[in-house]
Amino acid sequence: MSVSLERVGIRYRGGVDAVRDVSLAVAKGEFVAVLGPSGCGKSTILNAIAGLLDPEATELSGRILIDGAEARTRSRRELNLGYVFQRDALLPWQTIEQNVQVGLAIRGVHERERALRSRELLVMAGLAGFERYYPHQVSGGMRQRAALVRTLAYDPDVILMDEPFGALDAQNRMLLQSELLRIWELTPRTILFVTHDLAEAIVLAQRVVVMSRRPGTVKAVYDIALPYPRDAFALRGASEFVELEATIWNALRDEFRAPVEGGVAPLGPPAGPV
Amino acid sequence: MNRTLALSLKRVTLVLAIFAVWELVTGGFGLGIVLVVPAILARPSSALAEIVPYSQSGLLWRDLSTTLTESMVGLVFGMIGGCALGLLLGYWRRASEVVEPVLVSLNSLPRIAVAPILLPWLGLGIASKIALSLFTVFFVVFFNTYLGIRSVDPELVKAVQVMGGTRGDLARFVVLPSVFSWIFAALRTSVSFALTGAVVGEFVGASSGLGYRLSIAAGLLDTKRVYLILLILMVFAVTLVEIAKRLEGRLLRWRPQAALGG
Repeated sequence: MSVSLERVGIRYRGGVDAVRDVSLAVAKGEFVAVLGPSGCGKSTILNAIAGLLDPEATELSGRILIDGAEARTRSRRELNLGYVFQRDALLPWQTIEQNVQVGLAIRGVHERERALRSRELLVMAGLAGFERYYPHQVSGGMRQRAALVRTLAYDPDVILMDEPFGALDAQNRMLLQSELLRIWELTPRTILFVTHDLAEAIVLAQRVVVMSRRPGTVKAVYDIALPYPRDAFALRGASEFVELEATIWNALRDEFRAPVEGGVAPLGPPAGPV
Repeated sequence: MNRTLALSLKRVTLVLAIFAVWELVTGGFGLGIVLVVPAILARPSSALAEIVPYSQSGLLWRDLSTTLTESMVGLVFGMIGGCALGLLLGYWRRASEVVEPVLVSLNSLPRIAVAPILLPWLGLGIASKIALSLFTVFFVVFFNTYLGIRSVDPELVKAVQVMGGTRGDLARFVVLPSVFSWIFAALRTSVSFALTGAVVGEFVGASSGLGYRLSIAAGLLDTKRVYLILLILMVFAVTLVEIAKRLEGRLLRWRPQAALGG
């Protein structure tokens, strides 16, 4: 499914603008990264698309279209969205396997089929043998992998990802990036991936949307013309990658450098291959 | 040596030492050192020996089963009631705003103070003791349920909503498990509250039960029996709490151990 935002503005009650006048079109099967400094409202945009904003605390203007129809007029089941959170948001009282099956259980998929599907995905994600473990018993990387697989399990048409690898260490982050690439290259789905990591955005996406500080607006859009299949590890050393990184970094340096409300420290320049 | 084994050994030694000193100062071991007269503090060996006449009269079993029945029935119904009202008010915010101050005031009432009013209503039988035990457990469970609903992780709610979950799915996957974890985490407290409720109720007025027998023995200055019943109550309580602890560990297997608090 395609996703398009038409002049979307989100204002908190009390008058603070989270995002202002954001227009963005993501084609079916396209992988788009949204890059911006902390607090620029990029997560708020994802929440708006998923219909997760509290209507009593926020005011939404503009239109959010999914496959050409207003998102808010359709049920979540119809929209068939996936959402991967920064914290894994796994249900702590369910095993890894049960967690992967939640979406299927909600859709009333038969138990036997659920088991088959989760088995297959867990093997793919390298989680075989951990089916019966509870989330707290496995590492952060494995939890995030399980969260990703849980989303894939019910085959969503659009996947929203909110800094999904942000809480991981560098090595796990790269591993998961390459796994995500592999999954997407195999079955291209519409992905909107929010991050504040420039290298991550370039490695993964076909297009990078750069946002300004709050109130967030689209500052620039870059096409990432690196061919797929991409190698998340090797790419970081490639000259095209380094060039792109320098270009985009120059453009958005000011956004990252300026002090952000709430005292979030500005990010340094990209560190290059880790 | 295995660390847990060493620890158990130390614990047993401590308990034995306490009993030995107690035995000694009450004229035990044939040494005739009576620092505390038996009318105040019974010698442990004679208190334990008291179990023979107590059990032979058939009263021990009757008292045990009375107290056990009262506290367990009180526990079960207190939990069901507290959970039901907690869920109802947790979901029905508008009613909860109205009812909350009443419940908070009731909860602040010392439980024992309620016992005298329960007697004329429910009589000397087990009903009044069940009611007191229930009343005591009810609030623990109610407040835990209520808190459990309010402290549901909003991100888990979002996650299930995005997947297309209905209100029923939310209850099944997020709200109820979260609430139950709070209730089970309070199971130990609930069990000892249930027992306290039953025993206190028996003190106020009853025709059998450990608390009843204890108050009679205390009135007759029968310290041997008083201490015996206290020891029995302790073993009884420890056993019940230990069962509750095991059950808790079973039901909350998914939790990191640190959260269980031992």
